[in-house]
Amino acid sequence: MDIDRKDGRTANQLRPLSCTRNVLNRAHGSASWSQGETKVLAAVYGPKAGTNKNENPEKACFEVIWKPKTGQIGKAEKEYEMILKKTVQSICVLNVHPNTTTSIIIQVVNDDGALLPCAINALCAALVDAGIPLKHLAVAICCCLTESGHILLDPSKLEEQRMKAFVYLVFPNSTLSVLPEEALKVRGEPMEHGLITSSTHGVMSVDDYIRCLERGRAATSKLSDFFRRNLQSQVQSD
Amino acid sequence: MGSKPCFIDKLVVPGDVVLDLSSMTNQTIKLGGGLQQDHDTVTVVKAGILRFSKPNKYWIESSHKRYIPTVGDAVLGIVVDKRADSFYVDIKGPMMAFLPVLAFEGGTRRNIPKFEVGTLIYTRIVKANPGINPELSCMDASGKAAEFGPLKDGYMFESSTGLSRMLLSTPTCPVLEGLGKKLAFEIAVGLNGRVWVNAEHKSSIILAANAIMNSESLTPVQQKIMVERLLDRVN
Repeated sequence: MDIDRKDGRTANQLRPLSCTRNVLNRAHGSASWSQGETKVLAAVYGPKAGTNKNENPEKACFEVIWKPKTGQIGKAEKEYEMILKKTVQSICVLNVHPNTTTSIIIQVVNDDGALLPCAINALCAALVDAGIPLKHLAVAICCCLTESGHILLDPSKLEEQRMKAFVYLVFPNSTLSVLPEEALKVRGEPMEHGLITSSTHGVMSVDDYIRCLERGRAATSKLSDFFRRNLQSQVQSD
Repeated sequence: MGSKPCFIDKLVVPGDVVLDLSSMTNQTIKLGGGLQQDHDTVTVVKAGILRFSKPNKYWIESSHKRYIPTVGDAVLGIVVDKRADSFYVDIKGPMMAFLPVLAFEGGTRRNIPKFEVGTLIYTRIVKANPGINPELSCMDASGKAAEFGPLKDGYMFESSTGLSRMLLSTPTCPVLEGLGKKLAFEIAVGLNGRVWVNAEHKSSIILAANAIMNSESLTPVQQKIMVERLLDRVN
């Protein structure tokens, strides 16, 4: 079952994570998130008064701007912006600040695979830093499927190019609760098994997709633990 | 039921369920910022430390650069525009706040205060509803001017809301206590993350402002040491 990866990782192993919040002086909330060599900087400005055209003024509105490392934004980046916007809208409590707009700017510092999940994680950390009301946090992971049918987590750029297919998955974080665990389950499954966003590239069978989901879920529990520990350390140093 | 997790004075993140209302039916509780009721449970919407104050108040303590207006908060605002019936004041919130021209002690149509654009005023929030502009007043609840009004001279700097709250906490925080022993200065702290300092000598203003700005990330003991060192250097 073991397959070789360039950097000597096992199939389920993530690259080293690091997250720093409040990195920008003038933004209301900011965070930089890196997974190995992939690094993304997210900044949140707002909430500001008024909503854009074609938005519902009874809800909070979000705009996402994607800044690539070099050059102009193309179709792929526009798609990323859309995915990020939909994800943010589903994790935020939209009726606390109606008729306001929050701008989110995503700056890619370095792309070495799994860029979108990294951006979603950075974005979530920046939203927490800005104090935007959230229903829960989101943790994102990239799973990819090799030609031989193995599943690798958190691929690097080189691995991503060689893959048959890959999927970006976003899950809610695991939460703590005073309630007994049974009470939190939604239709018999824990809350963190719900899926917020899923975006696939390439062809994969349903069975492979289900396997990816299982692996992704297992890995995101580690990610959400990392997130909580990171927030904790920041609070204690204050 | 004996081993229920308790989150008070611990870090909580959005999504955590901190209270189960079905097991506390005969109590009235008050929820502050960062908490939201969802049917029979209370969930967290902002990351921070869960605080509890006897008998029944719960809130999340966190520090941000942006301020969300709340009724009763004393804030420092900057006049941005003047209309016939109210001033437009920036309080670092999502929307401009209105300060009616009659919301001053003894305010009548005949004596309207003359504030230039850019004037810094110490004021109180009297209305804050989501979706509409908050309303300010320069009077306390009994209609007296109290300490509210324009702040002349001095130096205003921006801080996080956490630092403002620390400066206003009781007992007096070590920075202010340390500075107060050696220096004579005036200070006005707005909960919206603005601090105004004034003193007779310019050097005292700079010293006090720098000490306060530096104290944000320090523990009480470190604050005390930092202030003592600063004061030793100038005297």
